[in-house]
Amino acid sequence: MNLEDEHSAPAADKTSSAESVSPPRPASFFQERPPAVMEVAPQLLRRWTRRDVLLFGMGAIAAAAGGGVLLPQSTLERLGVIHEKKNWPKKEWLLNGALRIDDDVAEALYSRNRLVPTYTKSQITPLKNNYNGATPDPSYIPEWRLTLEGLASGLSVSLNIRNLLASFQLHEQITRLVCVEGWSGIAWWAGLRFDDLLNAYRPMSQAKWARLESSVNLGPWGNPDPYFVSLDLSTARHPQTLLATHLNGKPLRVEHGAPLRLLVPVKLGLKNIKAITRITYTGDEPADYWAKRGYSRYDGI
Amino acid sequence: MPPFIQLDKEQVATSTPECQAGVLVVRRHHLLVRCSHWLNMPILLGLILSGLSIYWASPIYRHKPDPRTGNFDPLADVGMWMCAHVPGLHQYSSPPDWVYNHISLGPGMLAVALRLHWLCAYLFILNGLVFVVGLGLGGGWRSLLPRQTDLRDALKMFRYYLGLPLAKLARRTWPHPRFNTKYNALQRVAYFSVPVAGLLSVFTGWSIHKPMQLHWLAAIFGGYDKARIWHFWLMWVFVLFVVPHVILVLADGWDTLRSMIVGWSTRAGRSEGF
Repeated sequence: MNLEDEHSAPAADKTSSAESVSPPRPASFFQERPPAVMEVAPQLLRRWTRRDVLLFGMGAIAAAAGGGVLLPQSTLERLGVIHEKKNWPKKEWLLNGALRIDDDVAEALYSRNRLVPTYTKSQITPLKNNYNGATPDPSYIPEWRLTLEGLASGLSVSLNIRNLLASFQLHEQITRLVCVEGWSGIAWWAGLRFDDLLNAYRPMSQAKWARLESSVNLGPWGNPDPYFVSLDLSTARHPQTLLATHLNGKPLRVEHGAPLRLLVPVKLGLKNIKAITRITYTGDEPADYWAKRGYSRYDGI
Repeated sequence: MPPFIQLDKEQVATSTPECQAGVLVVRRHHLLVRCSHWLNMPILLGLILSGLSIYWASPIYRHKPDPRTGNFDPLADVGMWMCAHVPGLHQYSSPPDWVYNHISLGPGMLAVALRLHWLCAYLFILNGLVFVVGLGLGGGWRSLLPRQTDLRDALKMFRYYLGLPLAKLARRTWPHPRFNTKYNALQRVAYFSVPVAGLLSVFTGWSIHKPMQLHWLAAIFGGYDKARIWHFWLMWVFVLFVVPHVILVLADGWDTLRSMIVGWSTRAGRSEGF
């Protein structure tokens, strides 16, 4: 490469930086300092080079192997790296650890007093029917009841939509619903505050979680596929966490979870369960439909 | 690699019985800077692969659904076009997935892509801190700060790179512009911008990861949806930086590549490295 000889530095430069006893004092704190030049025996340089190239090379091999193992099974199969099912137990442990740390960060960021942004009616966007699987047949709606369990009274309470609308004040809000996939929608909701329901029907004293369940949800082929989410009571008590009954000023339609759905804007959309049929308060964290499928369980955004 | 010790000349001389002439070496990169530099490779690769799998779930760019295929994703169009026109790809089993099968973890892998993305993102943040500490300890940050003369000097360098291949062909000398700084202006712009892009990636990432708790952060980037667009294009800043970066390092030679491994360069007298 004759780049080297084309611009070998002027001799004056070399001597000044190599031999000057006291380099000129830099004009300011931010000014680049002249490089520290020193003289080293060639063998020593070769030894340093060998050692460092080996060390960094081993690090690179370790990083490539470690990083490669973390890739999903199907990606590795597609790349032709592996051909049969391989299990690295530590891999799941590590990836779940990252997920758990991220959930802890989300929980630390959450504050019951921090409200999410609200929007004006002109900012409302269309909201698609994002039912997981097939949309249920609306025939369940007239018979619909909400069952509350795990209450302080030890009783099981069953309410219909008229009871709920008659005994609770409705609150309106125009907020953004964010899907785990990345898209979002701004919609005008109305409903009762979950906090009001918790005050009217107190959960048992050791309860920290709510399990919300919809028995009417269907799988992709119309097969019964009950949907269930876990919700920490601290989030349930957030003033913008609604049990929504209305969308755009009208009672909820079947595709948005008539007659009662969860609207929790501080969580990902997948926690916003439609057509709730049962709420159970528990001391231990209940199972979650999507957490079982590899997604996070707290889902705070 | 222990920290670069300023060896006493006598001490070095005693280890060379023949009293060979020493080589002048100049310290270039702090150990922590070198480590974080190389760690960026697997981390950024993991972020890009998993990031495009996340992108697949809800592309930010979409057109009206094609009446025949129902497809709305331009990246799927690219795959279909390639499989229709590129020889050897006609038999590809799933043309719309071609792009995602080659530059991401694959389609339909949102849950696993998210887990990998969070892991790499936290590592990227930690690695960024290592880089900053290394820049501070080694004093390298001073060489990255923009100067008033940068614009003019960057144009000079640009002209040099454009003319170099022609000058080679014509067997003419094509002198490298002279600078008495560690980096030339073009390098300085690049090496300053890429950490800034890293910082912006982290901030846009947080603003789309926690758009409610950190809604003020998303607001800085124009809201949740715009922050997603920022985040997507910041990925391209890294890609577009890495390609010429690697080409120029390889063109410049072993000393430059070695300096990012061992920390020193034998080009003590000249400062135009890559």
